[in-house]
Amino acid sequence: MGVSTFSGLQTALKGLLAHQRALDVTSHNIANQNTVGYSRQEAVLGASRATRIDAGALQNGAGAHLGSGVDVLAYRRIRDRFLDLQYRAQAMRLGGLAAKARGLEGVEVALAEPGENGIAHRLGVFWSAWSDVANSPENSATRQVLVEQAGALAIAIATLDAQMATAAQHAAAEHEAIVGPGGEVALIADEIARLNETIRSSVAARIEPNDLYDRRDYLLDQLSALGQVSVTDLGDGTIEVAFGDAALPLVEGTTVNWPQALAEPGGKLGALLELSQPGGLIASYRAELEAFAQSLADAVNALHTSGCGPAFFTYTAGSVASTLAVAVTADEVVTSATPDPGANEIATAIAALRGGAPDTAYASLVGRIGSDVGQVRREEANAEALVAAVQDRRDATSGVSLDEEVSNLVRFQRGYQASARAMSTIDEALDVLINRTGRVGL
Amino acid sequence: MTTRITESMVRRGVLADLQAIDARLRLTQRRLSTGKQLTRPSDNPFAANRALQLRSELESIRQFSRTVNEASGWTTATEAALSRITDIVQRARELLVQGGNDANGQVAREAIAAEIDALTESLKQEANATYGGRYILAGTATETAPYAVGGADAFAGNGATVARTIGDGVSLAINVIGSDLLGSGQAAADNRLLHVMRDIAEHLRGGTPADFEALRGTDLARLDANLDELTRTRAVVGATANRLEIAATRLAELEESSLRLLSEVEDADMAATMVEFTSQRASYEAALKAGANIVQLSLLDFLR
Repeated sequence: MGVSTFSGLQTALKGLLAHQRALDVTSHNIANQNTVGYSRQEAVLGASRATRIDAGALQNGAGAHLGSGVDVLAYRRIRDRFLDLQYRAQAMRLGGLAAKARGLEGVEVALAEPGENGIAHRLGVFWSAWSDVANSPENSATRQVLVEQAGALAIAIATLDAQMATAAQHAAAEHEAIVGPGGEVALIADEIARLNETIRSSVAARIEPNDLYDRRDYLLDQLSALGQVSVTDLGDGTIEVAFGDAALPLVEGTTVNWPQALAEPGGKLGALLELSQPGGLIASYRAELEAFAQSLADAVNALHTSGCGPAFFTYTAGSVASTLAVAVTADEVVTSATPDPGANEIATAIAALRGGAPDTAYASLVGRIGSDVGQVRREEANAEALVAAVQDRRDATSGVSLDEEVSNLVRFQRGYQASARAMSTIDEALDVLINRTGRVGL
Repeated sequence: MTTRITESMVRRGVLADLQAIDARLRLTQRRLSTGKQLTRPSDNPFAANRALQLRSELESIRQFSRTVNEASGWTTATEAALSRITDIVQRARELLVQGGNDANGQVAREAIAAEIDALTESLKQEANATYGGRYILAGTATETAPYAVGGADAFAGNGATVARTIGDGVSLAINVIGSDLLGSGQAAADNRLLHVMRDIAEHLRGGTPADFEALRGTDLARLDANLDELTRTRAVVGATANRLEIAATRLAELEESSLRLLSEVEDADMAATMVEFTSQRASYEAALKAGANIVQLSLLDFLR
């Protein structure tokens, strides 16, 4: 088979078209340089199928392949799936630690320690008030001060308990908002299912929907901050997404299974559950506060009633911290088992409780919360650094580099220009052939 | 493969670095403005616990100081009352010696007896000494006058100890029981001051040789014994006052050292924090400048 006279024009045209496509892709990359979750794309160029010239094409009698230009083989999305897995694992950890840190910081601020507004200070003032009563048991003014200081202490304890309860409620409400109908999980799952459907029809038509893949991967990144995500490729372009420890996959191709029960989902949801659930972190702080309030009330009451007096503090068993209140008026404060106005052995004994079990219990609660918050903050900073490192590696692979795209623009523009020049060169050659040949002497 | 550096990496890196420096600056600024290096337990859980403990110690030291002050006031008042009682008893002894002298006639002795009676009432008056509205010689019955001036000689207080806690587990008795010195008068026959004074007045008025004998002999001896007892009691009160003074000094020292420890744990070292602040600000500015330059640069600026 011979070679067409015009095959060079076709080759040049292919060069023009291919470079135009490459410019289009570059332009798409530049347009999306700030799009979150976008992976850069490239037009993969390859030589076109060569024209086959049968035996005799060459001097030695052999046949040949005559190059026929360039084609776009594919529009490739440049992405490393392994980095996606790493990113999601770290994002889940960071999501959990960040939520936990925010929740615990709320509790820590409520403590108001160390300072004049904390319970430790109020407790010290309370013991001092007892000591003042022991110093002048006849004086009703000191007893009035004692009753007031005791009331302030009881209120401080109840307030701290209420603030901790609120912190737990906030965590529970946030959890509910995320998993509830119309929440973040449901929205993400719905969009993934819809994307799955579109992607499947594209893939069936042998079209690679790069930008839809990007969007889906971005949604999975978002989801992974909320909880443990694992993705299975179903082969037809769709994916199955397992979420947390839910019994059924959250997304199965185009079906969404939500809402489902979660026990230990990991990520932000896991942290919110850990903070808010009964027996969770905040509940355990409240239990310690409860034990402190109980030991305080019981220690004071035991001594106070030993003088045949009424109980000094009242409380409802089981919710001591929130119901602690002073049960006596200034006149009912007992300083001694004897009726002598100057006797003070009970007041002295109560004042001597300072630095005892209640003080220690409270200090250990403060120490525990402090070290918990400190630790979760350190872990959060660590997780942030890890996420940033994985993100950097992902960007190194998939991110748009303007310098690169601009140099590509120059490259493809030059390629386009050269292809055009090739075309006009061939055109000129044909001009000679068609318009000038055989016109010698005319 | 060399790492591709993309705009988003640069941007994120610059932002993250700026934010990290910003966070450090904010912490330093908080330390400077509050003067505390510990503002939350999580800043340093161990130090925060130590600070709580020190604050509690400080509060208790201050309370002990207040107690010691109060107890000092009590002993000072006791001391003053005992001093006046001693003066009265010494005056009575002078009168007794004078009354026992045979040179005096019965009229003069009657006059002396009247003065002794007045002194006896003064004794009761002094034994009713108060401190802050409380009767200090009445035991724990601090709201009852121990003696009825112009009435019977019976002691109306009790013998209970008034104690103050001036240190952890350190309890100090600060009161003197009035009846240990003055007794409950003739009815009780306890040879205490009131009993002896009443006897003296009686013997002065009696005017018989046996009365003179008693005045010069047993009355004088019993009065002297009571004076000795007074002196001994004043020594005990003085020792208590001394102990309180030592305790006050020690508590002041303790307060100072606790405050210093607390300051070491809680307070920011201003000079060091200021230096830190300045260097952080400098690095913040440098980061801003570098970031602004890097973010602006692009190949586009150089292609024409």
